[in-house]
Amino acid sequence: MKYSTKTKNTPPAPLPPVRHLRGRAGAAFVALSLLSAPGIVPLASAAPTAFAQKAAAELTGKVTDEKGEGLPGVSVILKGSQQGTVTDADGRFKLAISDVAGKSLVFSFVGYESSEQEIGGRTEFSISLAPLASNLNELVVVGYGEQKKVNLTGSVATIDSKSIESRPVTNLSSSLAGLGQGVYVRQSSGKPGDDGATIRIRGTGTLNDNSPLVLIDGIIGVMDAVNPNDVESISILKDAASSAIYGSQAANGVILITTKKGSKNKTTVSYSGLFSTASPSNLPQFVSDYPRHMRLFNEGAANIGRAVPIYSDQTIQTWEYAKQHPDELNVNGVPNWLAYPNTDWGKVIFENNVVQNHNISVNGGSEKSLFNISLGYLNNPGVMQNTGLKRYQLRANVQTKIGNAVTVGTQTFAQTQSKDMGNTANAFNFLRQTVPGIVPYYDGRYGLPAAADEIQTANGILAYLNTTGGKDSESRFNSTLFANVDILKGLKFETKMNYQIRFAEYNSHAIPVLRWNFANNVADDVNQTNDPTTMSTRYTYNKNYQITFDNVLRYNTTIGRDHEIGALAGYNQYYYNYYDIDATKTGLIDWTITTLGSATDMTNTTGTEYDRAMRSWFGRLNYSFRSKYLFEANIRYDGSSRFSPDTRWGTFPSFSAGWRISEENFFAGLRNHIPNLKLRASWGKLGNNASGDYDYQANYGKVNYSFNGTIASGLAQGKIANPFLRWESTTVTNIGLDGNAWNNRASFELEWYDKYTDGILTTPPIPLTAGTVSAPTQNTAAVRNRGIEFSLGWRDKVGGVNYSINGNFAYNINRVTTYKGKLNEQWVTNADGTRSYTSNLGDVSTGGDNRILEDRAINEFYLRERYRGNGTYKAGGEVDINAGPKDGMIRTQDDLAWVNAMKAAGYSFSPVNSVGKAQLYYGDFIFADLNGDGNYGNSYDRKFTGTTSNPKYVFGVNMDASWKGFDLSMIWAGSAGMQYYYNFEGYNNSIVRDGNGIASRVADDHYYYNDANPNDPNNNITGSFPRLKYNGDAINTTSSTTWLYDASYIKLKNLQLGYSIPDVWSKKLKISRARLFLSGENLLIITKYPGLDPEIGAGVGYPTMKQYSLGVNVTL
Amino acid sequence: MRFPVHIFKRKVCQFGIPALSLLALSACEPDLLDTSPYGSISSNTMWTTDNLTDLGMTGVYNGLRLGISTSSASGRELYHFDRMGMSGQQRDGDAFMNGTATVGNGNVSSVWSELYEGVHRANDAIKNLTEKSPSSPEKKARYMAEAKFLRAYYYFRLNQLFKGVPIYLEPVQLEEITKGRETEAKVWEQVVKDLTEAINEPALPNKYAKGNAAFGHVTKGAAYALRGKAYMYTKQWDLAIADFEKVKAAGYALFSGAGADSYRLLFKQANEQSDEAIFSIQHMGVSGYGSTTQFFCGTRSSTGSCWNTYLISPNVVDLYENKDGSKFNWDAIIPGYNAMPVAKREVYFLRNNLTATEIAAMTAKGLDMSLYLPTGNEERVMKAYENRDPRLQANVITPYASYNGTTPVVSRWPYRVANGLPIADLRTDTGNLFYYLHRKFVYEGAPGVEIENRTYGATDFPLIRYADVLLMWAEALNEKGNTAGAVALVNEVRTRAGVALLNSNAATTVAGQADLRERIRNERRAEFVNEGIDYFDELRWGTLKETVFYTGNGVKQIWGTVVVPYVWSGDFLNTWPIPQSEIERNGNLQQNPGWMN
Repeated sequence: MKYSTKTKNTPPAPLPPVRHLRGRAGAAFVALSLLSAPGIVPLASAAPTAFAQKAAAELTGKVTDEKGEGLPGVSVILKGSQQGTVTDADGRFKLAISDVAGKSLVFSFVGYESSEQEIGGRTEFSISLAPLASNLNELVVVGYGEQKKVNLTGSVATIDSKSIESRPVTNLSSSLAGLGQGVYVRQSSGKPGDDGATIRIRGTGTLNDNSPLVLIDGIIGVMDAVNPNDVESISILKDAASSAIYGSQAANGVILITTKKGSKNKTTVSYSGLFSTASPSNLPQFVSDYPRHMRLFNEGAANIGRAVPIYSDQTIQTWEYAKQHPDELNVNGVPNWLAYPNTDWGKVIFENNVVQNHNISVNGGSEKSLFNISLGYLNNPGVMQNTGLKRYQLRANVQTKIGNAVTVGTQTFAQTQSKDMGNTANAFNFLRQTVPGIVPYYDGRYGLPAAADEIQTANGILAYLNTTGGKDSESRFNSTLFANVDILKGLKFETKMNYQIRFAEYNSHAIPVLRWNFANNVADDVNQTNDPTTMSTRYTYNKNYQITFDNVLRYNTTIGRDHEIGALAGYNQYYYNYYDIDATKTGLIDWTITTLGSATDMTNTTGTEYDRAMRSWFGRLNYSFRSKYLFEANIRYDGSSRFSPDTRWGTFPSFSAGWRISEENFFAGLRNHIPNLKLRASWGKLGNNASGDYDYQANYGKVNYSFNGTIASGLAQGKIANPFLRWESTTVTNIGLDGNAWNNRASFELEWYDKYTDGILTTPPIPLTAGTVSAPTQNTAAVRNRGIEFSLGWRDKVGGVNYSINGNFAYNINRVTTYKGKLNEQWVTNADGTRSYTSNLGDVSTGGDNRILEDRAINEFYLRERYRGNGTYKAGGEVDINAGPKDGMIRTQDDLAWVNAMKAAGYSFSPVNSVGKAQLYYGDFIFADLNGDGNYGNSYDRKFTGTTSNPKYVFGVNMDASWKGFDLSMIWAGSAGMQYYYNFEGYNNSIVRDGNGIASRVADDHYYYNDANPNDPNNNITGSFPRLKYNGDAINTTSSTTWLYDASYIKLKNLQLGYSIPDVWSKKLKISRARLFLSGENLLIITKYPGLDPEIGAGVGYPTMKQYSLGVNVTL
Repeated sequence: MRFPVHIFKRKVCQFGIPALSLLALSACEPDLLDTSPYGSISSNTMWTTDNLTDLGMTGVYNGLRLGISTSSASGRELYHFDRMGMSGQQRDGDAFMNGTATVGNGNVSSVWSELYEGVHRANDAIKNLTEKSPSSPEKKARYMAEAKFLRAYYYFRLNQLFKGVPIYLEPVQLEEITKGRETEAKVWEQVVKDLTEAINEPALPNKYAKGNAAFGHVTKGAAYALRGKAYMYTKQWDLAIADFEKVKAAGYALFSGAGADSYRLLFKQANEQSDEAIFSIQHMGVSGYGSTTQFFCGTRSSTGSCWNTYLISPNVVDLYENKDGSKFNWDAIIPGYNAMPVAKREVYFLRNNLTATEIAAMTAKGLDMSLYLPTGNEERVMKAYENRDPRLQANVITPYASYNGTTPVVSRWPYRVANGLPIADLRTDTGNLFYYLHRKFVYEGAPGVEIENRTYGATDFPLIRYADVLLMWAEALNEKGNTAGAVALVNEVRTRAGVALLNSNAATTVAGQADLRERIRNERRAEFVNEGIDYFDELRWGTLKETVFYTGNGVKQIWGTVVVPYVWSGDFLNTWPIPQSEIERNGNLQQNPGWMN
C-alpha cells in the first residue's frame, strides 16, 4: 500500500472507512484517488505518536459540501507543511498540530474550491466547500445511471438546463443547436408546432431513419413533448460503449433527458415568463411591379417564338397609368391603386406577432419526499395568418420513501395543444403561384386577378390561408410509476412502468370567403366556393399508445480498497400501437354546421392500425482499479417484432476502458498544470430495426374496383416480403482524450471515431418489370462514418467579470461501402459493329440527382456540368469541339454558329437537339460531354460531385459572461461543407409560368437577346440566369451543377442579456431571486446561400423566426 | 452470436426468480413479439378461401385502374393518350410532342411497370386458382379465363407501345427478371393464345345482361373482340373478321335506344351497360373508385372547378363532315378564311358587342377589325358548327355553344368575368387562350346531378365497345377487298351518329379500297374522340408523322394559332423506348432503334 510517496518514515495509518457517497459510486472513486495523490500525508485521527510530544492542539471539525452534507476524502493540510489528514466518511477530521501559532489549514478536494482557514485560537472547524466552477465534478447522466465526468469511458456530450433556459424557442429539439459537439441540429421549419429540429449524431449513419433514440427519465419518448423549462440535464450518448445498454435502438446515438426533481431545501416557487416578437428571418422577393412582371412574361413568350404576347400592351399601359394616377377613379368608380394593384406578396403574407410563454413551478421536499410540479403555457401566433399554436403543459415529479428501503414515485407529464388550420405545406407553393396584380385583402374581400389577360387560377395566398377552418389538436399523457428498493447493502432493485398516450383530433372544413375583382368591382361567380352543398367536412382521429416495463437490479461493492465493482442486470419490454380513422362528407346544410352527422354525402372513410413490440435483456459490469484504470462492459439482447421469430434476436456487446493518466505517479510534475487527463477507448456494436413494421411478412393489401356499380374490394400484393430480415448492426470504435488544465480554467475533449453500419435495411431498386409492387427490404448496404470531434472550454474571472467560452467542432466523412455492386460504365461494341455506351447505374444505384452508390457519400449529387469552351469559334470556321461558349451558355452569334456547326459535324445536344426559339437557342445551356460519346448532356454525362447536402463540419460556440447582477450569453451554431441543389421554379430558375410570380434574382440577372434587333437596349447577354421561357424549359432546368450552391452557414442562435436584482432588493421584496432578461433568437446568419434560409433546407418553406424577447424569472 | 435466452426465459417463467419474474411477468406472454398486419392478408393464407379467391381476382381487375391519379393528370390513363394523337392535345404539349422525350421519360417507366403489375397479378391468379383456391370448379374455370383475358390485355397494351417485350407467364422471383425481349410477333402470339384459351372455356359467358351483378367481368364477347383487334395488328384479316362476327353473335350491338341523341347519351351513366359496352373499366361515384375525365377535361365551369388539361385539336373539329357527308370547308362559311394568315382569323371568333377597350386590344394585336361584326360576329361563326356531323356537338364545346356546367354557361371569346348577359361565360383554366373543349365524359349540372366530385366520376370507361368492333371489321373487310361489306358496317355507325351514309350521295361515294381505307380511318378519328383509341390507331397505321407531326402542327387555338409547336425528331417516335433504367438493370434488354440516351 503506497498512500504516501514522500514521507517514507511515516508509518502507514488506517484509512477511515470509505462509504458510498450518497449512493453515487463515482464519488467513492474520487475519495480513493485523492489519497493516492502525492504531497499529502494522510494522517488519521489516531495520530501517530511521533507528533504527540509536541502536541499543542487537537483540531477537529467537519467539512460539508454545498448541500450541507459531510464531504469525505477532503485533504486537510497544515499550510507550508506536509502534515495533514483526510476527512472520514462523514466529513469529519481530527488533526493534532504541535504549533498552531500563525498557521492556517488548507482544505482541498477535487472539484471544489480550496479553502484556507487561519487556525487562530480555534480548535473546532465547520467548513463548507464550494464546488469548483469546472466540469470535473460534474455528474453525467448515462444509460441506467449517473457517473462523474472524470470517470466516463464512453463518449457523452452534455447540455445543462442553463443553455436552454430563457430562450424564446418553443420546443426542446431546436434549442440544442450549437451546444453539443458532434450533434447536428437543423430546424427545417419555423411553423409553430412543426418547428421541431432534426438531430443527427455523428453524421448520417444509415440509409434509414437516422434519428437518435430519445429517453425521457429512462423511457422512450418524443423530445418535443417535454417542456424545456422542466429539463434538468441532457446527455447525448455518442459511441457504442455509452449507448450499448440501449442496444438495438441506439445506433444513431441516444439522447437522455432528465427532468427536474425536487430538492430537500426549502420550497420555492419559480415563475418565468417571456414575450417575444417574431418575424421571418428572411423573405422571398418577387417582382412586385406588375407592368414589369407582364413585360417579363411577354419576353418569355417571345423567346420561345410565341406570336401572341401573354399580356396586351393595353393592360400594361393601364397599370402604368394607374401607377402615375393612383387616386383617380376608373370606369367602375374604383380608385386606381385598388383596381390595379402591384402587390409584394413576400411582404404581405408575413406579419409580426407576439409570442408568449409562461412557466410556473413549485419545487421542494423533505428528508422523506421530494416534489417538482410545473405548469407551462405557450401562445405562438406564427408569422403567417391562421398558423398559430397554443400549448399547455404540466408535470408532476413526486417521490417519497416508505420505511428505509423503498422509494416510490412518479414522473407524470401532460400536454395539450391546438394549431390553427392555415395550410402552410402548400403555402409556399402558392406564394410563387400568384402575381402582383391581385389585391390581397381589402374591405372584407380577397382580391382576384384584375387583368383580363391574367390567368384566373393565380392564387390569392392570403385567401388560401384563411379558407380552412376547424381544429387541429393533439394531447399527450405520459406517466411513469417507479419503485426503488434497497435490498442489501449495495444491492438495489429499480422497477418502472410507463404508459404514454397521444391522440390527435383534426377537423377541417371550408370557410367561405368573398373573392372580388376590384377592377370591375364584381364578385367572381365561378371561383366562389360559397355554396354549402359543395363544401366538405373532414374529421380524423389518430391515437397511439405505448407501454414500457423496465426492471433493473444493481450491485456495487468495493473489494479491498482498490477494486470497485459495479454490476447491473435488467429487463425491458415495450409495446406500441397506432390507429387512425378518417372520414369526409360533402354537402353541408350551412357552412357553419360541420359535424359529420349533419353533412349529406359520404365521400371517404379510411382507417389504419399497426403495432410493434420489443423485448430486451441487458447487463453491465464496471470495474475500477484505484480510479485510475476504468473498465466497463455492456451487453444487450434484443428481440423485435419487426423480424421473423428465427431472426428477431440480436446481441449487442460493448467494451470500454479509461486511463486517468493524471493519477499516475509519473504525471505528478504536471499535475499542477493539468489536474485531470484521461484517455479512453471503446468498442461496441449497436443495432437498428428500421424496417417497416411487417416487412418480413408477405401480404396482400386492399385495392379498389367495382362491378355493376357495386364496390368490389380486391387484394393485391403490396410489398415483396423478405423473411430473412435481421438487425442492421453498427460497430463503433471510439478513442477520446479529455482533461482540464490551468487550475481547471481550461477544459478540452478530443475524440476520434469510426462508425461502421452493416446489413443496412434498404430497399434497393428492383426492375420496373416487377410491377408497381414495393421492393423488398433487405439487409444489404454498409455505410462508414469516420470523424473527429473536439471541444475546448475556458472559464476565468477578470476583475469582477466571470466569463466562459466553449467551442465545439466536429468533422465527419461518410461513405457507402456496400450497396448493390460497383458502377460499371463503358463502351461496348455491339454485334452489328456499332459502339455504344453502357451502364449498370440503374441496377447498382438508386436516386436521381442524389444517388446512393458504393464508394460514394450517401445521396451524393450526380449532375451534368455546363460545357466549358474557349469561346474562339468564328462563323464559317472549322468545327472544334473546344471552341464553344466559355461558360456553356449560348450568348453570341458565334456561339450559336458553333452549335450549328457541331450538329452539322454529327454531334448532338441533349435534351433538345434542334436549334430554334422553342428548342435550343440564345440564352440556353450546353452541357459537357463527359463520356465523350458526341452527345452533349445526355444522362451519362452526369458525374458525382463529391458533395452532399449533409454538412461535413458542424460547430458551435457559446459564451457567457457575468458581472455583478448582469449576465450575457451567446450561442453560435453553424455547419459547413454541404451543398444544396436549388432549382426551384418561381424562386430560382427562369421559367415564367402562367399565374406564377418572378423572383427578383432572376428578373434582375437573366440573359436576353433580341435576335431581330442586336441593338435592342434591353439585350443583356451577360446575364447569369438563362433566358426566360414561358410555361416550361426542357433545357436549362435539366439537372446540372448550375443549380448547386454552397450552403455553409453560421447563425447567431441566441444572444441574451440578463440582470438579476441585488439581494438587498430581493430581500425587501421577499423573493429569493429575480432576473430580467432580453433575448434574441436567430439574430444573424452568415451564408452565401441564395435561398431563404440554409437551415430549413434547399427549398422554400416556413422560415425560421427572428425573435426578440423580454422575460422575467422569479423565484420565491 | 445468440444466447440461449429462450431457455433462460422458460426457467424464469417456470420456477420464478423472485425479483425478475414478479415484475417481468408479462415477459412470459409468448406472443408479444408476434405482431401481424391489421389491414392486409398474409401471402400464406391468400387464395385459400372462396372469399379470398374473389378478392384476389378483383385485384387483377384493379390493374386496369393503375395510372389513375387524382392529384394531377398522370398522362397514363387511356384517354390521356389522345394528347399524342390526331384528335386531342394537351395544354402545354408533351415531351413526345415537343421533341424532348428521352429514354429516361418517367411516363414511359410508369406505363411499363403498371402494365407488368397487371401481368404479375394475372400470373399469381392463374397459378393459385389451380393450386390453392377451394372455390367451385366452375368458378375457378371462369376466373382462370378472366385472368388469361386480363393478362392478354396487359400484354396487348405493352406490345402496342413497345413492340416486343419480355414475356413472363408464371409468378417470378426478383432475381428471375432477366429475360430479354420477345419479338412483337411472339407477343401477339401469346396474346392470341391466352384469349383463345379464355374463349374455349365453357364457363365463361358470352355476355352479361344489363344489371347482372357480374357486369364488368370479362365475357367471351370481350375475348373475341380483343383477339380480333390483335389480329388487326398482325394483319390476319380473315381471323379478325371471324372474331368480330362472333362478337355480334354474342349479342353485342350499337346503342341506339335514344334515337338521334343516342351517340351523345351513350357516354352517360344510364347507358354504360348498353349492348355496346363489351368491356369497360368499371367506375363508381365513390372516392378511389371513379373516373377522372371530368377533372382533366372539364373546365372551371364544370362541377368541382376543373383544369382542362386535355383539349380537342382543331384538326378533328375540321375533320367532322357536314351533315350531308361532304367535307367541311371554312371558306364556305367565311370566304377567304383559308387564305388568311392564321393569327388574323381570330377576328371571326370574337364575341358580339366588344367594348371599346376590347376593340382597342384586338386592334393592338393586329386583327383587322373591319372584318368584325359588332352584332353579328357570333352568329356568323356559329354557322360553321351547324349542319355538321352531330358527333361534333356531342364531343366538342364549340364557340358560342352552351354547356351545362355548375350553372349553364356559354363559351365566349374574350372571356369576361361579368358579361351583363343572362348566361355567364364559360371559364377555362386557360383564360387567355381560346380552345375547343371536351364534352364527352365531362359531366353536366351542379354537384350531385351527374357527379359529386371532380375526382370520381361514376360512368364506366369503355375499353372496347361495339362501334370499335364494327369499324375494325369494316377495315378488315376492306383490306380483303370486300368494299360493299365494309361500307355496310361503316354505315351502321354513321346511321347511329346521324350523318349521311356512305354511297348515299356524290360526296359520300366511295372511290375504291384506298378511299374507303381513308374514310374508315377518319370515321374512327371522329367516333372515338377522348376514348384513348386514336393514338394507338395512328401508331398501327403508321400515320403519326403525317396526321399529327406534319409541319406547322402543334397545340392550337381554335383558329389555328400554334401555342406549342410539335417536333418530329425521327421515325423512332413510332415506338416507345424501353425505360433506360430497366436496360441498366437487365442487360438482356435491347433498346428500340433510334432512341438514344
